[in-house]
Amino acid sequence: MRKRNKNADADQAEIDLTPMLDVVFIMLIFFIVVASFLKEAGIEVNRPDKSQSDPSDATSIVVTITGDDQVWMEGRRIDIRAVRANVAKLLASDPEQAFVVRTEPGATSRTLIEVGDAAREAGVASVNWPEEAKK
Amino acid sequence: MSRRNGSAGAAQGGGEGEIDLTPMLDVVFIMLIFFIVTSSFIKEPGVEITKTEALSTSACERGTIIFAVTALGDIYYDKKEISLDSARRLAEAAKKESPKANFVIQADVDSPTSVVDKLYTILKPVMEGVPLCASTEEAG
Repeated sequence: MRKRNKNADADQAEIDLTPMLDVVFIMLIFFIVVASFLKEAGIEVNRPDKSQSDPSDATSIVVTITGDDQVWMEGRRIDIRAVRANVAKLLASDPEQAFVVRTEPGATSRTLIEVGDAAREAGVASVNWPEEAKK
Repeated sequence: MSRRNGSAGAAQGGGEGEIDLTPMLDVVFIMLIFFIVTSSFIKEPGVEITKTEALSTSACERGTIIFAVTALGDIYYDKKEISLDSARRLAEAAKKESPKANFVIQADVDSPTSVVDKLYTILKPVMEGVPLCASTEEAG
């Protein structure tokens, strides 16, 4: 009598957790996979507000990319590989200088990002890219 | 057979046949909740983009809203080609869905900056002052 009672109790009290465990494991694996494999890396490009003063004043480093992907700086054309050294040179005199890259319609993103990258390598605080002038 | 064995074991030795799964279950649940909370769902643009190589690459913080600009200047979002006009609407919807997410542009090496520029102009009001992350490839 007593024994039978105990057995009945044990049957009732135990829930088979295996199916739930399967589901939980599958969810866990799914979220682990989703969480870790999608990481985007890149360089940050800032856009100055329109209300701000014209960034092309004397206190900022301006690099212009023309429509045929030429890089101009301080009134002369420079090689894209020379951007970093030139920006570093200007930053040495005033490390607080803002960096502005201007593009003209026709330039490609490669040049823009490479100039931005070079400037970041040279140590600028942020890469500013104002809106392109409408033609 | 196995059942009978199990019940016999339970009747005789009690703890020998069965492993207590509760602590493992606790751990698994905590991991599950952690990954659910930290995961952010990314809608991939779904186009092949040749990214520019850069040395100063850093991780795009919470950069989960991704627009892609192809070499031809087409804009892709969520595996569909979109127009500049709908980009604004989609960006607002995406930002509403996950307010902490930031924007990423995957620009092809040959994509015209004028398109990226227009897209940035459209995204700017939605971005709350966070700089745009231009996706790059790690050089080297």
